[in-house]
Amino acid sequence: MAKVKSKMLRFTHVKLENWRNFAQVDVDLQRRIFLIGPNASGKSNFLDVFRFLQDIVSVGGGFPEAVRRRGGVSALRCLAARRHSDVMIHVFIGNDENPRRWQYELRFNQDNLRRPIVKREWVAKDGSVILDRPDHNDEADPKRLTQTYLEQVYANQRFREVADFFLSIRYLHIVPQLVRDPDRSVGRKQDPYGGDFLEQMAGTQERTRKSRFKRIVPALRVAVPQLKELELWRDERGTPHLRGKYEHWRPQGAWQTEDQFSDGTLRLLGLLWSALDGTGPLLLEEPELSLHPEVVRLIPQMFARIQQHSGRQILISTHSSDLLRDEGIGLDEALLLQPGPEGTSVSPANSFTEIKALLESGLSLAEAAMPMTRPRDAEQLVLFSG
Amino acid sequence: MKNSVIISGAVEGVLDEGVLRRLIRDLGAEVRAVYGKNGKPFLLNKLDAYNHAAHYSPWIVIIDLDHDAECAPPFVRSRLPDPAPNMNFRVAVREIEAWLLADRERFARFLSVSLSRVPRNPEALDSPKGTIVELARHSRRREIREGMVPRPGSGLKIGPSYTSLLLEFVKDTERGWRPTIAAQSSDSLNRCIRRLAEVVNA
Repeated sequence: MAKVKSKMLRFTHVKLENWRNFAQVDVDLQRRIFLIGPNASGKSNFLDVFRFLQDIVSVGGGFPEAVRRRGGVSALRCLAARRHSDVMIHVFIGNDENPRRWQYELRFNQDNLRRPIVKREWVAKDGSVILDRPDHNDEADPKRLTQTYLEQVYANQRFREVADFFLSIRYLHIVPQLVRDPDRSVGRKQDPYGGDFLEQMAGTQERTRKSRFKRIVPALRVAVPQLKELELWRDERGTPHLRGKYEHWRPQGAWQTEDQFSDGTLRLLGLLWSALDGTGPLLLEEPELSLHPEVVRLIPQMFARIQQHSGRQILISTHSSDLLRDEGIGLDEALLLQPGPEGTSVSPANSFTEIKALLESGLSLAEAAMPMTRPRDAEQLVLFSG
Repeated sequence: MKNSVIISGAVEGVLDEGVLRRLIRDLGAEVRAVYGKNGKPFLLNKLDAYNHAAHYSPWIVIIDLDHDAECAPPFVRSRLPDPAPNMNFRVAVREIEAWLLADRERFARFLSVSLSRVPRNPEALDSPKGTIVELARHSRRREIREGMVPRPGSGLKIGPSYTSLLLEFVKDTERGWRPTIAAQSSDSLNRCIRRLAEVVNA
């Protein structure tokens, strides 16, 4: 297990140019990352870099589709960028022993018909270049530049590990209403908002599912103390449902189905399930939503424990001071997003001497870093009168 | 059945809360709520309010002495000169971690280090937290080493799951912390348990 964990691949560094609201980013990534910043500073857009890479390699995805889903190149390009600048993503993938095992760079733009075009695709392994496009083939047939090698099984053979790694990325932002009422997101597969959450659970092997439920229930009891057990069943139409057995004055206890679960229960359940589901990087948006602050406080410790077992990388966006009050969050694990006229900047908390000094004198990360990410004109809200 | 005594408390952090809950439960009493958990300055700031509430029901406040005074009594007098009758203001010498270290045998087993490494007089330690992290460095368990020892570059004095690992030790009544055994090696813990027992049995 020890061996597996230290060898688990993760994103170790990311560089961006003109990606959504980031004109320039160049930052190290630890195994656990907390993104903090004001509303609309780009926390989700930062996570979207990794979802974009996953979209490129996923079934039904590909580079043109990944760009199309995001409204085209001009919608993706940073507003602060000059009009025709390229968008660039450069990621480093590795582990603690070798943080730069792989590098993957994709630089793209659009042609006259607004179709996305690869400007550069570049891969290096242990520092030696193994792919550098455009090459002479691309020059002979420019149409080839509408696709990346990454998404093509024949072309990515020499860096298949990178493609598989991107494919292993998971994103979760459960909307309890969608779990309760899956008709609202009919037919969506791998819906990050939870529309097919129950289907995904049902699609897991029964043994695996049962053993996960067994591990989840004690943790879930933190928020729902009366919960005894969880199980999945299908109604006569074959639709999966979740039900929980609650301790009750009746000797048999009482069963409740997911439509009776509270928002907090469903969100915490989603969080715990996704933590156990898969081994690749896990992207989470505001895990604190709908949860009691005393539960939120313990989320970072929970992730630290999960990582000790699985070794997987976890990237979390948050607005919660309660979450950042945890004393185990390293200064290099907290990334501050600060909007400015030239786009949003991303810097680890340890690059601010102020934060370091405040922490040394006993303040928590929440107290030291949150004020720096306050929305610029927050007080405007009290002047609102309709 | 006799109704059990219900006690409110205030502490510095999540680990302290675990310790407090364990002590109260072991005495057969109940916890109403635990306040504070936002560091020492916050706790000291609200002390008057807690003391006010202690005019009406039993209260306990546990705070680390750290290096604020040589020993506990002058510290207590300066911080809370006029305690309410139901206020039980306890000071851990020098940090609450010393109370955990005081159950040497179990703590050594929990950390997977040899018993001889765990110091005999935890109240004499300059920094019990630092001692625990140093002990964890020698642990035979990877989970302990990686969880409790700070990662280089993190800028912290403790590891990412330091708190939850110690909480696990505190909560485990079977194989974990034994407050009454620990009290034999820690005078401040001993006083805390004795005073709590007086409140519960009054």
